[in-house]
Amino acid sequence: MHRLKGHPEERRFLEEVIEKSGQNLLECLQCGKCTGSCPISSQTVGGPRQLIARILHNMQDAALEDPTWWYCVSCGTCANRCPVEINMYQVATALCEMAEEAAVAPCEPAIHRFEELFLKSVRKYGRVQELKTVMQFNMRSFQPFKDAKKGLQLMLKGAISPVHFIKGGAKDPRVADIFTRVEQLKQGEKAHES
Amino acid sequence: MKVSYYPGCSLEVTAKPYDTSAQQVCRSLGVELEEVPQWCCCGSSPALKMDGLLSTALSAQNLVHIEGQSVDKVVIPCPFCFRRLLSAQEEIQADQDLKTTVQNVIQAEIAGQLDIQNLLGFLRYDIGLESIREKVVQPLSGLRLLTYYGCYLVKPSGVTHYDDGEYPVSMDEVLQALGAEVLDWDFKTECCGAGLSLSKTDTVVELTRRIMREAKFKEADALVVACQLCQANLDMRQEEIGKAEDTDMAIPIIYFTQLMGLAFGLPAKQLGLNHHLIDPISLLKSKGLA
Repeated sequence: MHRLKGHPEERRFLEEVIEKSGQNLLECLQCGKCTGSCPISSQTVGGPRQLIARILHNMQDAALEDPTWWYCVSCGTCANRCPVEINMYQVATALCEMAEEAAVAPCEPAIHRFEELFLKSVRKYGRVQELKTVMQFNMRSFQPFKDAKKGLQLMLKGAISPVHFIKGGAKDPRVADIFTRVEQLKQGEKAHES
Repeated sequence: MKVSYYPGCSLEVTAKPYDTSAQQVCRSLGVELEEVPQWCCCGSSPALKMDGLLSTALSAQNLVHIEGQSVDKVVIPCPFCFRRLLSAQEEIQADQDLKTTVQNVIQAEIAGQLDIQNLLGFLRYDIGLESIREKVVQPLSGLRLLTYYGCYLVKPSGVTHYDDGEYPVSMDEVLQALGAEVLDWDFKTECCGAGLSLSKTDTVVELTRRIMREAKFKEADALVVACQLCQANLDMRQEEIGKAEDTDMAIPIIYFTQLMGLAFGLPAKQLGLNHHLIDPISLLKSKGLA
């Protein structure tokens, strides 16, 4: 196991994930309680235990292309049941940031598309315009009428307003500034590293 | 009692009934909710996944607005916002470097000493069962309810510090105080996958299917929730589940605040009970409650 006897270079990826996530993966017992509890682990999505194993073995490509952290809904069930209290959604954040930095293409484009559109809306309006984001997502996914019947039913009940599908709220430049400053900070760090 | 109120984005648009029922119930209990001025989105799961600093900074921006309100307690109905703001405050308290960075990003000083509570916990523990019981004019007798807490309100326990991550009871206690019959089951905190509702609908239909199948087996009249994501997801996906199971699946998904309002004598429509896809009104009428 690289985590025990690997060359420092072989432990670089593991150490970076630990540092970025604040989660001590070296304590992982590989007991599998996490994956057994994980709502999104399936035949095609390996789940947290396998993902940690990949990180511990310094399998950087496999870890950054693992669908588990894209699927992770941060439900916290694994963290709740983990005997050493590893918080996997913090690991997901670390891997997502590292994958972006390494320009690894998202292996789950649909999830990525939704999350990007969501943040774009927050950046522009300060508050996410939910229905507009749903509409944009369905359009870009080439399924404009997905759940349209339900949307219509809710509109007829007066539960949602058609206006919200098209029109955004008032813009909030303070929030856009936060996005910009976070970006600048990251670019500064990158420039500093290179 | 006056507290700060952070509704979050959903409660303005898709989860209006949660907001209006929460406001009315608090008014009945003598609680003044002062909405956070100029609040913004906490970034929800997309920010938490894609950018840790952005996620913490957005929450911190809201904490600063709340600190400006000169109340020491903030009440949050949305479980995700609740967990994120609480967690951000703890992260900032524990890490001085992070605090400095975040303060630079939001260009404001943050004290980080707020009492951050979710709405259910605030009503159950701060207001208390006795005060809730006193307001009941129409006991919800004859209603067989299942409580569904979802994830973000209670899990992981080390982050939320609220109730129990596997077997919470606070909502059960509130509903019992309203006179309802609360059934027991093992699915109180099983994840419904709402975050993937748009992008991975098949996964979400399967997760909600497990929950709703059990709810039907328990012969519950309705499922009671404290999360607008759970509400929308379980309400919306029953049609698909019914088709997959070849059965009628139409169990109303109701906010606990709507049932509190109903027990306090408020009209069903005023609580937005007519705004769900699976209409709870006929059920409530059959029990003489609407």
